[in-house]
Amino acid sequence: MRRVLVAGIGSTPFGRHGDATITSLALHAAGAAIAESGLDRARIGSLYLGNFIAGPLTGQEVLAGLVADGLGLAQIPCTKVEGACASGGIAFRHAYLAIATGLCDVAIAVGAEKMSHADTASVTAALNCAMDNAADGVSGLTFPGLFGLAARLYGERYGVGRAELSAVVRKNKGNGLRNPLAQMGATLRDEEIEASPQICDPLRLYDCCPVSDGAAAVVLAAADLHAELTAQPVEVAASVQTRGSPRIGGHRDLCSFDATVSAARQAFATAGIEPRMVDLVELHDCFSIAEIIDAEDLGLIPRGESAAWAREGRTGVGGDRPINPSGGLLAKGHPVGATGIGQIYETVLQLRGAHPNQVRDAAFGLTHNLGGTGVACTVNILKRLDA
Amino acid sequence: MAALSILTCSACGRLDAGPRDMCPACAGALTSMPVEGAGTLVSWTVIRRPPKSFREHGAYCIAIVDLDAGVRITGRLRNTPAHAALGERVSLVGCQDRIPVFALDR
Repeated sequence: MRRVLVAGIGSTPFGRHGDATITSLALHAAGAAIAESGLDRARIGSLYLGNFIAGPLTGQEVLAGLVADGLGLAQIPCTKVEGACASGGIAFRHAYLAIATGLCDVAIAVGAEKMSHADTASVTAALNCAMDNAADGVSGLTFPGLFGLAARLYGERYGVGRAELSAVVRKNKGNGLRNPLAQMGATLRDEEIEASPQICDPLRLYDCCPVSDGAAAVVLAAADLHAELTAQPVEVAASVQTRGSPRIGGHRDLCSFDATVSAARQAFATAGIEPRMVDLVELHDCFSIAEIIDAEDLGLIPRGESAAWAREGRTGVGGDRPINPSGGLLAKGHPVGATGIGQIYETVLQLRGAHPNQVRDAAFGLTHNLGGTGVACTVNILKRLDA
Repeated sequence: MAALSILTCSACGRLDAGPRDMCPACAGALTSMPVEGAGTLVSWTVIRRPPKSFREHGAYCIAIVDLDAGVRITGRLRNTPAHAALGERVSLVGCQDRIPVFALDR
């Protein structure tokens, strides 16, 4: 496999984009990424686009071809990939593979979603396409519901609860406040979080990520093109994708996702580093409890201790294990198909030393994107070239 | 107690809550098998903002139950309990639109 660099990044702000179409959001992000890379767009050899629910929510499909056409790319393979909330991470990995395996020297991964124009019940119904609707969906289970179930079990098992969930919310909302791309940064007090409406007991409104529009893109290039790049590149040290059970009953534990555990193990082995060497993590905090579980599944915090680490502030930007300095899905927002590539965007800024919530001397960053009920997962490890 | 239909593999004997087309362990043929609807509560939550197709149900309680027969299923709890301890015994009391509905034994 050849070494692969992230050569350019681009993103729209995450949030509400009113009249902008999903295609124009994707073009905005992709155009910025190409411009930053300094590479001629004629050299792009393949495009992968991560998107989950443009069909049901916008009535627009063939997004990969539409975006390539808008960018004026050559007659290259353009592929939309779907893996629910992990769609963006999967698009990134496929673009990485196209270069690592020598199919092309330059590739672009784009992620996009447009959701905010739809009413909540329609969005919830569209998101439920990510569930095994023959098995769990018939019961009326929703994604907030799945994480409500996990939060109750985790809380009982480890004797933690509202204070720890709120600590995650406060941290991520606070980080989002300083991220210009974030949809919902805020300074929150525990009382405000506790007074927000119940969504799926014990989860409240502030425990849930918002409905968002947005797009993000990255240009990837073979390491031999290093001298031609105009922005500071970072190296992809590992890019792993795994599957897990699409059914609740198929998970050994409601408080763990097998797909995350196996992806993280493979990623650390490929990158040749230990979890303790990771300077910052952008992980899939679709709900506050998800951040607590993911950090344990990734091997970054010992099992059962993640909630306490959050309460003690150890996962803050200046803590010993910074998690979601971008604000995460909870504050930055979750335009589903864009999220995994947005995480790469944030991590590249960190490794360049140019993030608004900069982790000091960050050399290794990890991103974690989880789809559906843990049915698809990607874990990427990025590193500074001198690391 | 009401009974529930699950699947069993005619080749390897593996049990599955279904629905499935073939045994995920050995690709063998699956046949249905009735089991007692008795089990323990793994976790529960109340869906207060249902998706479109469940709007008419209002708020409802989802339960994950480990059946004594040895499979985990997703169903509902009849009535929304003020408190239900995890590990509490539950029994199937019926089905509503193909959804297994459980009640606490106490």
